[in-house]
Amino acid sequence: MVVPCSGIGKTYGTVSREAAYEVTEDLRPGATGLVALSLLVLGDEDARAAVRAHPAVTIDGCKLACAAKMVQESGGQVAQGIAVLDVYRRNRELKPQGIAELNQGGQQLAHAVAAEITAIVDDLVSREEASDHA
Amino acid sequence: MPDYLETTVDKFIFKVATDRLYSAEGVWALAEGDRIRIGMTDFLQQLNGDVAFAEVKPAGTAVATGDELAVIETIKANVEVASPVGGSVVEVNPAMELSPEAINQDPYGEGWLAVIEAVDWPTDRAALLDPQAYFELMKGQAEEEAKKL
Repeated sequence: MVVPCSGIGKTYGTVSREAAYEVTEDLRPGATGLVALSLLVLGDEDARAAVRAHPAVTIDGCKLACAAKMVQESGGQVAQGIAVLDVYRRNRELKPQGIAELNQGGQQLAHAVAAEITAIVDDLVSREEASDHA
Repeated sequence: MPDYLETTVDKFIFKVATDRLYSAEGVWALAEGDRIRIGMTDFLQQLNGDVAFAEVKPAGTAVATGDELAVIETIKANVEVASPVGGSVVEVNPAMELSPEAINQDPYGEGWLAVIEAVDWPTDRAALLDPQAYFELMKGQAEEEAKKL
């Protein structure tokens, strides 16, 4: 399960959600699902069940790390958490700007975040397959 | 560890260390003889959010009072930090290169920016605010910011 930051009105929140959409809709649609952080905050049972049943990859836009915290508070396990700021620090040329519409740097940063999540997802899937064979 | 003045505005807690002086723009100056350690206040770092990059003028740079000492890029803005003291940069916090988040984590300690050898500290000092005066100013600034939320 991919759980992005819900930082509505915040550039880094938009980057995290765009990355989540890219992974769940385009890059690994069969292997991943998206859980809206707001549903976890509201205590939605389906959302809580989803993060309890599957390893979660969280994407956080700031140090508050709401996505990672809410997954844990919902009884789920964070397989790996990604901070958009850390990805930006590794890719300084991709300065994100904009909220409703990201600038080119923001779009490319979202791609970079999505690529990191995809690698994590592939690793999780291969480990699951290996344990199924064992 | 310094003592702090502390206030809560909306859901945010802001601290002001009592062992140093302040510019109205939220830059602190801690005298260590003729050398003055410089950093951002807790309010300034919280106002601007998580730090992505910090670029501080290198050692050897001469700065006049009010000159740009550093540019801090955060998730919200680029913050130009004006030096509250004139002199020569003699030390830059090495943490600014690899872990500038120290500004957010410990603005009055590990998150210092630079040390400046002052040319005329008595004159610069006289233009700065004592902790109580900055605390009152900062509370007003924080309340104004809270109205925007």
